[in-house]
Amino acid sequence: MNLLRPLIGKEIQEDFRSARGAFFLVVAALVLSVFAVLLVSNTELSLLDNAQAVYLMAGLVIALAALVAVLRGSEGFAGERERETLETLLLTPATGHRLAWAKLLGILFSWLILFILAIPYLWAVGSAGQNLLPALWYLFITGTLIVLILGGPALAFSARMKSFKGVLSLGLTLLLLLGSPVVLGPSLRQSAVGRILDLANPLAGTLNTLDSVIIDSQGVALQLVRLTIMIAYSLAVLWFLKAVTRRIEP
Amino acid sequence: MNPKIWHNLWLVLAALALVLGLGAALAWPAEPPALRVTLQPPVGPLKMGDTPNFLGAVTNLSPQPAQGLVVYLSLVSLAPGHEHPVDLEDWSAQKAVRLDRLNPGATDFRNWGMRLIQAGKYGVALTVVDPRENRPIVSDLVPFEVQSKVTLLSSRVLPVALGEPLLILIFFAGLRFFYAGRKCRPNHNDERLDSNGGHI
Repeated sequence: MNLLRPLIGKEIQEDFRSARGAFFLVVAALVLSVFAVLLVSNTELSLLDNAQAVYLMAGLVIALAALVAVLRGSEGFAGERERETLETLLLTPATGHRLAWAKLLGILFSWLILFILAIPYLWAVGSAGQNLLPALWYLFITGTLIVLILGGPALAFSARMKSFKGVLSLGLTLLLLLGSPVVLGPSLRQSAVGRILDLANPLAGTLNTLDSVIIDSQGVALQLVRLTIMIAYSLAVLWFLKAVTRRIEP
Repeated sequence: MNPKIWHNLWLVLAALALVLGLGAALAWPAEPPALRVTLQPPVGPLKMGDTPNFLGAVTNLSPQPAQGLVVYLSLVSLAPGHEHPVDLEDWSAQKAVRLDRLNPGATDFRNWGMRLIQAGKYGVALTVVDPRENRPIVSDLVPFEVQSKVTLLSSRVLPVALGEPLLILIFFAGLRFFYAGRKCRPNHNDERLDSNGGHI
């Protein structure tokens, strides 16, 4: 743990000290601001039920979290390699696993910052309505799982692939693949195949959980299957990351 | 006998049977339904966000107890040109209940609550399915209108939407200024080293 602390500190500092980290946080806040202004300025949208507005906002936060996970995961080792700083990092007594854990915790910290940034927006659109507190809880849980599920493989690929662009393309393709069934209409997702895809897709699972909790006011019993599947994915991702980062090439 | 006469006779008999059949069907009193179902709307105007209760009543009119009744609510949007059934799940409404037993003459009163999430004209009806009957019994359609209400207040959203990015920018500008200042500031230890000839 003593060895991990400076590594995690380095990753966390990148969120505050680097121009890239600051730029991301400002952009994320601007995206949420634009969406919030759109909600109140559009006559039809301003009539939305508060719970619906919270659900839409939470969906946007999840999309941003997924993007952060892929971007930071892809940048993890491949970025260090391109900046020629990976070799120095590998000279430290830290093993490949520890480096990977530190980077993964750095990604989770970025998500935590994004979540904290999103709270005022969610409060602004949803405090007069129902289910704001459960919405925050479930957004935090599902968002953490999504960041693990998407950030872990991106980090694993970046440990193996030489080019940052290559890892990023792969990560974004994965994100697109996971995201595409979500944009299908509800009628197409009602079939048996659609329902299986919905259950197997962690991104769809996240949005369905948020819909169920925020809009339909359903309890935890109805979320268990989806959350269990997502936790299983997360554990598989952690195992995959551990296997891949056993040895990292400079 | 002339085949044409036979043909005409058949035609007359068929017409007679048709007239008698129709007459009998019209004259025969229809069997009264064994159940009566009514639905009463809430009093007063309704607006978005309200959670009104519609009072439903199911009465057993038959001398036999009714068992295993399924009672469910149906909601339809009556917006002209956009009429469609509405998914009750989004309206947080109780969809259906099962009545194990309803004794002869007894009435089951029940409040059917729902959360009004969208403005517009709607109609709601209560249906009872009796497993012994092949025809469900539906209450009269209760029309109601949900007035629109601005739920997202600009006085609450705009300060956050404008203030938060600004605060983040100020925070990062302050952080940069702080670190830049630390870099420029001479190191106190270095000065002491110089003044003491580099011994400390």
